[in-house]
Amino acid sequence: MDEFQEILQDFLVESFELIEQLDQDLVELESRPDDLELLNGIFRVAHTVKGASSFLNFDVLTHLTHHMEDVLNKARHGELAITAEVMDVVLESIDLMKSLLSIIRDTSSDAGVEVGDCVIRLDKISGGTGEVHTPVAQAKAPVVEEVQEVEEVASSEEPDYENMNDDEVEAEIERLLQKRQQEDRAKREAKIAAGESVLAAPPEPTEDEPTPAPKATPAPAPVAPAPVAPRAAAAKARQDEEDAKAAAPATRAPAVVEQTIRVDVKRLDHLMNLIGELVLAKNRLIKINVDVEERYEGEEFLEELNQVVSIVSLVTTDLQIAVMKTRMLPIGKVFNKFPRMIRDLSRELNKKIELEISGEETELDKSIVEEIGDPLVHIIRNSCDHGVETPDVRVAAGKPESGIITLKAYNEGNAIVIQIDDNGKGLDPEMLKNKSVEKGIITDAEADVMSDKEAFALIFKPGFSTAAAVTSVSGRGVGMDVVKTNIEKLNGIIDIESEVGVGTSMKLKIPLTLAIIQALLVGVQEEHYAIPLASVLETVRISKDEIYTVENRSVMRLRDDVLSLVHIGDIFEVERILDSSEHAYVVVLGLGSSKLGLIVDTLVGQEEIVIKSMGDYLKGIEGIAGATIRGDGGVTLIVDVAALMQMAKGVKTKALSEETSTSSKKEKSKASDYKVMIVDDSKTDRMIMRKALEPLGVTIIEASDGQEALNTLKQGDHNFDAMLIDIEMPRMDGYTLAGEIKKYNKYKNLPLIAVTSRTGKSDRMRGVESGMIEYITKPYSADYLSSVVQRNVNFKSEFL
Amino acid sequence: MSDKLKQIINKQGEQQVGAVEHSADIIQLVGFIIGEEEYAVPILTIQEIIKPIRWTRVPQTPAYVLGVFNLRGSVIPLIDLRTKFGLRPMKHSDETRFFVLKQGDEVAGFVIDRLTMAIRIKKSDIGAAPDTMAADDSMIAGVGKQEGRILTILKVDKLLARDF
Repeated sequence: MDEFQEILQDFLVESFELIEQLDQDLVELESRPDDLELLNGIFRVAHTVKGASSFLNFDVLTHLTHHMEDVLNKARHGELAITAEVMDVVLESIDLMKSLLSIIRDTSSDAGVEVGDCVIRLDKISGGTGEVHTPVAQAKAPVVEEVQEVEEVASSEEPDYENMNDDEVEAEIERLLQKRQQEDRAKREAKIAAGESVLAAPPEPTEDEPTPAPKATPAPAPVAPAPVAPRAAAAKARQDEEDAKAAAPATRAPAVVEQTIRVDVKRLDHLMNLIGELVLAKNRLIKINVDVEERYEGEEFLEELNQVVSIVSLVTTDLQIAVMKTRMLPIGKVFNKFPRMIRDLSRELNKKIELEISGEETELDKSIVEEIGDPLVHIIRNSCDHGVETPDVRVAAGKPESGIITLKAYNEGNAIVIQIDDNGKGLDPEMLKNKSVEKGIITDAEADVMSDKEAFALIFKPGFSTAAAVTSVSGRGVGMDVVKTNIEKLNGIIDIESEVGVGTSMKLKIPLTLAIIQALLVGVQEEHYAIPLASVLETVRISKDEIYTVENRSVMRLRDDVLSLVHIGDIFEVERILDSSEHAYVVVLGLGSSKLGLIVDTLVGQEEIVIKSMGDYLKGIEGIAGATIRGDGGVTLIVDVAALMQMAKGVKTKALSEETSTSSKKEKSKASDYKVMIVDDSKTDRMIMRKALEPLGVTIIEASDGQEALNTLKQGDHNFDAMLIDIEMPRMDGYTLAGEIKKYNKYKNLPLIAVTSRTGKSDRMRGVESGMIEYITKPYSADYLSSVVQRNVNFKSEFL
Repeated sequence: MSDKLKQIINKQGEQQVGAVEHSADIIQLVGFIIGEEEYAVPILTIQEIIKPIRWTRVPQTPAYVLGVFNLRGSVIPLIDLRTKFGLRPMKHSDETRFFVLKQGDEVAGFVIDRLTMAIRIKKSDIGAAPDTMAADDSMIAGVGKQEGRILTILKVDKLLARDF
């Protein structure tokens, strides 16, 4: 059973690969019906699938593929012209084949798909030419009821078929072998000519290219029986299993010659994760190296450490690139399905559309290739439906009858560009604006100031559709919205250019990989955020008075432009604990054609970061694209620039001074609601102060130095009404403490009372400078201290 | 020799069978305190229990989502059960722990006030959640009674489900 499963898996993988190629070949075939190579290729797919499926006892699939094979076989021998009608049926049967294969993949059985109709039509086609028919099929597929209906043309011709086919087989094989030998000889001669060693060349011609040789060659096997066997098996279809077995391995032969191995994607993903960890470790190593350099400046071992660090960092980068490459797939994988789609669409829409594809060898990360398919389908459908006009309209406009859609992919820097052009009617910005106003997507005023580019972007708005009627193809106003979200999910940019009557060009710019990116790290208050460097145009340092407010929005002049600004803290609800300085940094973000200035408190630096998902629980938080782990082990959130720009529109920048002490000035209902912190390194002094204040009944919290006091304050467990601070303290003295406390907006108005034995005038001055409002010199009387505290906390007399 | 070995193996086999039968009606839980009450979750849903570590706030989330933290290279959400259960947030103490729960692919850390103990409880000692709370969206799987204690057994899938 396990063995069966294994074979089944191989069969499925192989079949799906074959079919992927098939779609494209078939469409090409329609335009070049005489291309024998193509026909043979297609025939071979049907045949391979048939052979393997009969071996695996998938009767329905065998039945279907057998009839396909018949039709194709005729076409191959010129007995049947490939017309659009024939093609429709063949394509339909391939679709059936696909769904059968999917069902087999899911259920390991091929029940449940009705192939009868299609088989009849296939039969009609091959029967229609009056030639041969396929009683074999009927014999071998009793499972399918419809077979009876086909019988009319049937059985008497059986021997004919057999004979003819056998002859044919012989002839074909003869011909092919000769051809191949010739080719091989030619190749060898070429090699000799090129001065290469021929010794390695196999004595018998083993073919590495899937040529028409039906079953390739299983081995350097001598000509006759082996290759014929599978062929015969195919012809007779319901043959004993041994023949079929021979067929199955034989078809797999070409794979051996290609120098590739199949690797489970999970393993690659795992490898990629490990590399991610390595990159993080590398970042950490670099950070430590910097620290060590600072501490042991001039020491000799630093040189060595430096070398090792740079080697590790270099190799890590190379390794990362190498692994990235293993995950790359040619975008052709996605492009392959479009010729077929265009063909179907153009028939459905009664338009003439040609598809030109270039750059299909351009490579992209697997995860992106998987994501890019849907958006492309939507865009191309849209181009077919809304872009390209019907032939009569086109002719009337003086254009060639058939429209052309070009699909091309190419590399541009660290990104790949996929460009979809059509020479259809183009987008009319005025029409788009009117439609949007009509549908309430934008207001009149907005429409007036909108540039053409912005108007084009309207097609991505949810609920927008320019099609007068909803067709099965498009017009529901959902698709393009999906395109935008999907592309943005990939950190991509969409750019549209269009001219009325000439055509539309859509450019999707997508980063090569998703997992590891360069980022700019910025700080706001005590938090850090990472911004993908790809979206950062520049950074500028400005002073607060360069920020102007226009209609409740902050803006600044950036050279000749006006740049709208938003504070990162307003978007991410960062509490303004620390007082911001006179200067701010503006990170200019660019996405597509829009720009935004993001105000941050500090620029931390540029770093290579590994994007980690935050799991389902925190997926899709607005403005956050993911998280990364920094060199110090902390987590830093990654900004989703597209979403952030969207959010910025809704944020009214608060005037920076607006922040007032909202710290709970709750009504005091009893004496113990008052909280006073005593900061002194001497236990005795703390005790004296405590004794002096206890009669009041206020709550007293003690700290033994400035650092501890600051920590207690930061934790925010208590709302203090006053602080008594000693000046001479270890770790952090009273002046520094006062200075630190005053940095926090929240504590701007917290009374700080110095309690010290320093009586000099300059000491008092320093105290005032650092924000102390009272200065009590030791020794003092308990009553005096108590009264100073009472005065500063506005102690209500009724509690006395 | 081989007879002896066989005997031992047989014996072990019997013990294992016995253990399985025995455990069929016993559930193992881990109890913890939030506020005044004791709660419990099945022991197998606990990936690990760690002491509080640094976390990063995540904006645009409800107050009970404290943020995310780094658990050996994975970014994991941190949820404060006090806040989630409508209690006043409390400063983390020496007894505070992060409960890392896992079900399927979902992993999250939960802040609890303190651990109590691992508990073995008979299925028959677990009653249904009070009627008023028995609705599907309740977080309570049942109420266990043991030696005079009352344990609220929580549904881990509900804890791990995003509800905002």
